[in-house]
Amino acid sequence: MSFPQAQETPAGPSRTVLRVYLLSAVGTVIWLATIFLAPWLAGRGALGASRVVYAVFSPVCHQIPERCFQLQGHPLAVCGRCLGIYAGFAAGLLLYPFLRGFATVKLPSGRLFLLLTLPMALDAVAGILGLWASPIGVRFATGVVWGTILPFFFVAGVADFVKMRKRRAEARALEKATPKNIK
Amino acid sequence: MDQKKPEYFRPALIAGAVAGLLSGLPFFSLFNCVCCLWILGGAAMAVRLLSKDSPGILKPSDGAIVGALTGIVAAVVHTVLTLAFKPDMEATVRQAQEWLSRLGYEMPSNFDSMLERGSAFMSPTWAILGLFVTAAMYAVIGVLGGIIGVSLFGRKTKIQAAPPSAPPPPPSSGPGHEA
Repeated sequence: MSFPQAQETPAGPSRTVLRVYLLSAVGTVIWLATIFLAPWLAGRGALGASRVVYAVFSPVCHQIPERCFQLQGHPLAVCGRCLGIYAGFAAGLLLYPFLRGFATVKLPSGRLFLLLTLPMALDAVAGILGLWASPIGVRFATGVVWGTILPFFFVAGVADFVKMRKRRAEARALEKATPKNIK
Repeated sequence: MDQKKPEYFRPALIAGAVAGLLSGLPFFSLFNCVCCLWILGGAAMAVRLLSKDSPGILKPSDGAIVGALTGIVAAVVHTVLTLAFKPDMEATVRQAQEWLSRLGYEMPSNFDSMLERGSAFMSPTWAILGLFVTAAMYAVIGVLGGIIGVSLFGRKTKIQAAPPSAPPPPPSSGPGHEA
């Protein structure tokens, strides 16, 4: 099974993609661990430190306790939907080597992205309109579905960026070297 | 053949300003809670603007760059707006709370502590520190939004097939094959 491809750039050294993939994986693990760190610190009485961690996540999540999973009686640093997105991102990273591999840089199609966005968008819109108050499990699940596709964009895009930088650096080095060689 | 480098800053500035504005305004900022909607959407819109301006085909790296810039611009605008609204923020939020309560909406149980936390982290030091943290987070989210934007709005590339080979030259006419 593989994602339909919308964009393809020429294959380069797979080491770049592998490095970006590994860095993304490390970053995701740290990110997820930090989400659990906030309530863990609060549970151990380190309220000042836990407030800082909660504050770090406040620009990206409402942190309403009723919509957050709890750890040691304290809400996680992000809501259930956000946790689902990050967990989905981690799951997507696990699937990445099997579905994409590290040889080429390809983006999934926009249609597939929109399709996977649909459950979460419907859930969110229905919630805002008061048509449906989804339980936290549903929020988490729709977040996971959406989050799973994100690393396929992220790794491919960042790897393409790194390759572009390398190509430009090589071109600049060549430009600098050329006049000397002519002399 | 060297493709002209796209002009990243202008679309990032426009889309980032709009995204930051929507993220920083009291009511509209609520929508950012839906997976950082304004930042992701802003970065994708920056790619759309970029694709209109640039003649070439956008690559994922173009989306990443313009998305990161959009996120940083949005973070700056967001922080400036948050500081600007600081004096009126609590009063406005309290009014909104009363208004929503009259409509029957229940406020989150940590509403007061959220307000308190918001005030506690509004000192200039925290604001500058917060700007860096927000800029870093929005830049990463912007990168993602920009790359998704390339997939949605970038001109579709067809897998480069080998150019149609020229028809084989007619067999050289040797003696005896002349018309």
